[in-house]
This record gives sequence, C-alpha cells and structure tokens, in this order.
Amino acid sequence: MQDELSRVVDALPGLVWTALPDGQVDFLNQRWREYTGLSVGEGCGRGWQIAIHPEDLPGLVERWQALLASHKSGEMEARLRRIDGVFRRFVFRVSPLTDESGRVIKWCGINTDIDDRKHAEEELRLSEARKTAILDSALDCIVTIDHEGCITEFNPAAERTFGYRREEVVGRRLGDIIIPPALRERHRQGLARYLATGEAHVLGKRLEMSAIRADGSEFPTELSITRIPVDGPPSFTGYLRDITERKQAEAELRRSEAFLAQGQRLNLTGSFSWIIDTDKITFSEQLYRIFELDPALPVTFEQITSRVHPEDLPLLNEKMNLARTDIADHDYEIRLRIPDGSIKYLRTKSYGIRDREGRLEHIGAIQDVTERRLSEKTLSKIQVELAHMAKVSSLGALTASIAHEVNQPLSGIITNASTCLRMLSASPPNVEGARETARRTIRDGNRASEVITRLRALFSKKEAAVELVDLNEATREVIALTMSELQANRVILRSELDGDLPPVMGDRIQLQQVILNLIRNASDAMSGLEDRLRQLFITTLLDDDDCACLTVRDTGVGIDPQNVDSLFDAFYTTKSAGMGMGLSVSRSIIESHHGRLWAAPNDGPGTTFSFSIPCAPADGSDNGGIGGIQASASMDTQNVTRNP
Amino acid sequence: MKKTRSLVSVVDDDESIRESLPDLLREFGFDAQTFPSAEEFLASDYLAHTRCLILDIAMPGMTGPDLQRELILRRQKIPIVFITAHRDEAVRPRLLNLGAVECLFKPFSDEDLLQALNTALRLN
Repeated sequence: MQDELSRVVDALPGLVWTALPDGQVDFLNQRWREYTGLSVGEGCGRGWQIAIHPEDLPGLVERWQALLASHKSGEMEARLRRIDGVFRRFVFRVSPLTDESGRVIKWCGINTDIDDRKHAEEELRLSEARKTAILDSALDCIVTIDHEGCITEFNPAAERTFGYRREEVVGRRLGDIIIPPALRERHRQGLARYLATGEAHVLGKRLEMSAIRADGSEFPTELSITRIPVDGPPSFTGYLRDITERKQAEAELRRSEAFLAQGQRLNLTGSFSWIIDTDKITFSEQLYRIFELDPALPVTFEQITSRVHPEDLPLLNEKMNLARTDIADHDYEIRLRIPDGSIKYLRTKSYGIRDREGRLEHIGAIQDVTERRLSEKTLSKIQVELAHMAKVSSLGALTASIAHEVNQPLSGIITNASTCLRMLSASPPNVEGARETARRTIRDGNRASEVITRLRALFSKKEAAVELVDLNEATREVIALTMSELQANRVILRSELDGDLPPVMGDRIQLQQVILNLIRNASDAMSGLEDRLRQLFITTLLDDDDCACLTVRDTGVGIDPQNVDSLFDAFYTTKSAGMGMGLSVSRSIIESHHGRLWAAPNDGPGTTFSFSIPCAPADGSDNGGIGGIQASASMDTQNVTRNP
Repeated sequence: MKKTRSLVSVVDDDESIRESLPDLLREFGFDAQTFPSAEEFLASDYLAHTRCLILDIAMPGMTGPDLQRELILRRQKIPIVFITAHRDEAVRPRLLNLGAVECLFKPFSDEDLLQALNTALRLN
C-alpha cells in the first residue's frame, strides 16, 4: 500500500514535495528529482534552493516563511532550474496537513510549469499594448463594432475626425453616430444579412462613402472594413480616412485635365512626353486623335514612324537624334500620311528637361496646322492661277481684237486678189477689172497696216488713275497683305512711317505693286538664312528734295555692288523662279511718277532698295506727272522693252 | 446667162468687203447687192429677190444673228452664209443649228465661198 502510494506520487503530473512544519523539505518526488537533476539528499532540507533562480529566491523564501507562519494554503511563483540549466517559471502551490487539534504536522507542495502560459500572457500583454499604441497613434480613424453594430473601440483619430469623445460613443450604435441618415438603413440591412447568411458586400474592400460629424456636417471618407478573426459573434473593425482634401484635389485635377483636353481639342494641339532612357512615349488624348492611333494602346516608335510621311522621316530622325543627347528646343514641321491617304501638317515644338537623377525627357506640343497649310497652299495656287488667267485673258483679248481688226482688210485683200486672178484667167481677160481689184488689194493692204498702227496707239493710250496717294497708307495696306507670307517665311518686319509725309500724285495701285515687289524681293533674299535673324525694315520719310522716300532694308544675301545697275534690267534675275520683270517694271513705274528707284548694299548683311517721288504740290494742281504716267506702266511688256 | 443670174445680197459694215465681194460674186456668175447694215437690207426691195444672203456677224445696231432671227420670224427662207472676222469656233454650230448654210471666218478663200453659195442655192 505504501509502495503503491509512493508510485502514484511519483507519477503525478507535477513536481511534488513535502516539508516539515518548520519548512525543511523532507520529500521530493521522482518528477521533481528528474526535472532538477538533484537527488533526494541534495534537494532535502534547504538544498532545493540551489535550483531556484537567484533573482526569485529572496521573494520566494520570504513568501514561504509567511505561509509557514500563517498555517494557510498559498501560492508562490519562481523560476526553477531544469537539469539542462534552463529556468522555467513554476507556480508553487502549498497547503498544510494538520492533525485533529489543527496543528500543522506537514506541508504538501506541488510545482506546476506555467512557463508556456506566462509567455502567452506576456505576448498578449505586449500585443495589447501594441494595439493600443496603434489605435492611439493611427492617423486613420479606427472604429470597431460588435455584431449588434455597437461601437466597442473609437481611437483618438476618430475622436478628432468625428468630434466625439470615446466615452460618449462606446456602446452606442454606429448607425446612430457616424453614418449619414440616408445610409443607415443600408448599413443595418448589410449587417443583418451578414449575420444571417455570412454574405458580405463590403468586407475587405476599399470603399468611399459619406460620414457625418458630431456637428452634423457630412464629409467624404475612404474606408475598409474587416472582420475581427475571433470565435463567437462577429465583430468588425473599420478604418476610415477623411478624403475631403483629396477629393477636392481630384476634382481640381479632373477639372484642369478637362480644361487641358478641351483646350487641346479646340486648338488642335496635342502634347507628348518622351523619356529618353526608357524610350517611354506618352501621348495626350488629342495627340492620339491627331495621329489617329488607338488610345487604348501604348505609343511606339513604329506607330509614329508608320504615320510620318516618308519624305519627312529623315527630318524627324534628325530631330530625334538631336533630342536624344541635347535639351535644346526644337521647332519643326512634318507631315503625316494617314492610312486613308490624307496628309496632315504638324508643327512640333519641344524642349528637353533633366530630372533630379539627370535623366533626359523631352516634352512638347504638336499642333495640327493642316487647315492653315492647305488654305495657304490653296490661296497661293489661286493667286498663281489668277495671275496666269489675267495674263492669258488680257493676251487673249488683245489677240482677238488685233485679229478682228486685221482680218477685215485681209479678207478684202484675199477676195480682191481672187477676183483679180479670175478676171485675168477669163477669156478674154478682163484687164480693166483686174487692174481695179489689184488697186483695191493695195489699198486694203495699207488699211491693214493702219490698223496695226491704230492698235498700238489704242493700247498705249490707256489712262493711269492719277490721284493723291498717302504713301504710308498704301504701305500699310501692302504690309497687311503680305503679313502672313512674311510670317510663314519667318521674317520679322519693322516699319517706321513718317506721320508727316505729304501725299504724292500718282497711281496708287501701281505704287503698291512696287512696294509689294520690294517686300517680296527682300523676303525672298532672306529665305535661306539660318545663321541670323530675317529682319525687314520699311521706312518712309521726306527727303531734302521734298520727295517722299520709301526704303526697304533686308538682312538677306545681299547684292554684288557691280551688279547693282543690271538689277533693273529686264530679265535680270537671281531667282530661279523669277522672270526678272519685277524690278525693271518697278523702276519704270517710279520713273513714270518722275521718281527714282535704286539699290545699295548695306554696311552689314543685306540690301536696301529705295524710291523717292516728288510730293504733290500743296494746291493739288497737276505737277505734270500725268502725261508721264500715261506713257508707261500700263503695259508691263512695253515699259520693259522701252526702258533705257 | 443674162436672166437666170441669182441675186446674192451682202450685208457687212466693213467697206472693203462691200467693195471686193460683188466683183467676185459676178465672176462666179451671180448678181450682187451690198448693204452696210441689216436695217438697210430689211428696208430694201431686194429682200424678196435675194436667193442667198452673205451676212457679217458683228455689226453695230442689228447684228447678223439678229437679222437671221428676224428673217425666221418673217418666214423669209433665205439661205444665209455667215462671215466673221472673229474666229470663234463656238459661234459656228449655234448659227448652223438655227439654219445657216455655212459660217466662214475672214479671210476666206474664193473656193470656200463658192462652195457655200452652191450649197445655199441648191436649197432653194
């Protein structure tokens, strides 16, 4: 019996021991001895104390003495060294064994290993502390609710955002506090559905919805809701963020993006970005539209080059190669060939920027200038056609009237000659009749000659329209007419017109033709310039001889001083496309106004052309110029050939 | 040869035509009368006897085509050979459509004129 009891004690799942009333240990069970590695002899008496963690020993001894004195059961905690030297935390439970008189005759003790539980408790405490720290310091509002929708947690961020103190809201329904009235029913139904079916519409997703503050104001929030993973009735955590500012920023951004898109659409301008390192190209919506590419696809070089007109590919490649190494600005024009065969003209302006890492990016705007180019082309084509038609029709009219006038006597000549032959061939020949018809033939021949003389007189007598001409006003009109042409040629025009210039007597249209001719020549002389500004200065002034003087100065290729005089010869031209008529006609026009037209090389680059015309007398009387004007300029060809 | 000569009238404001054509027409074997204007021709007694009319297109006052229309209105079926110093090819088919026999551009050859007159007289 004694043996059996001893075996039971040894098998108990704890370290069991007994001590005498004075606290001296007199028994240690097998598990105790195995755990500590101490024998009965080593552990009995006070020997067990060697297995107690030195830090815990004083407290333990003190507590043990107190229990001994109290004669009551109790608990102590201490770390107990295992045989391998590891200390594990144990709870020491002791209770006294008393006799009938109540005197303590023995103490029984059992030590239970609580190390694992202690660790778990420590973990829990730490995690609780962390949780609290997170809750307290979180920038997001964190609100937890239980399965009935009652608030169980309400962190400081939530207090700040909603304007409630935690104590005010814990235990109250979420639906009554922060959910706007319009959404409360949905919230209630959603919670009920989840509890009944487990079907969740909102869990684990990023949501945006309105929330309401203590003062009743509503604001947009972003939130996500998770279920807290514990057993029993579900509870939920909601993370909320006030996104009023973000919403405003988003709205601002959307608005400015819309403005930009609309603006780009209106002025047919798209924009692009090209990060050189990665060759990533981004097109604006409008640029996709201009290139007629699918906006759903990323832009590639292949797509771009497939759209560019083959003739313009070398230019584009050149510009892109420059852009790869340089942040310089670019401004150029290329054409696109759309698969439907249509051509688009694109003006590109771009510049390079470097980001903080020194990576090069080119940003640019591309404007569709097709309509402008086409209308310019059409306009110049029309102008050419008109000029040609004017030439042809005036020539045609001239030819027709000459033919008519000459054909009449020619008809008489041929008829008379035919009659004459017939009379001479008759039998007998009618010599007298033949003589008469031959006489008439000669007379008709003379008449034909007279017709020619008359025609020349008729055409040379065409009157020029002579009137008082304000040279400044005439110049301004020509400038207005040529402005777009000059801009297309990138010519910068400056004019200084003398406001006190008296009028001249002459043919306004003819003088304007001269001014137009000088401006065109100046513009053409600068068309190849790349190394300096293309500048054109027009000035008017009253010179020392009381003549109105107009000068047109360019910064163009200039003229050889030796050739200055031949400039004004008919058919003299330096232009591949010109007839060389302009300056000789211009000079004859100016001379018909009793003026002079001359050219001089500038000190710097370019040429200055000038003309001067005597001003009209103050009383407006004829200064003798009309006859001079009449005699010339009405038919260019005649003036040119007559020009000395 | 005396009595069967057909009368060919010439209406043209150009004097050299009026002077030269009658001699040629007589050489061809026709009688010839000339008028400086359409109005004078219409007013003359020769209208009824004219077997063929040589008519200038462009004249001051009543033009050749005006006279052609007037004759159609009067149901005077006189074959017309137009002559003109304006070489306008577009005019010719219009006049021929209205019943003209021929339209000759001045200066024309005597053979062309004779051929046109023969055609005209065959129509009578």
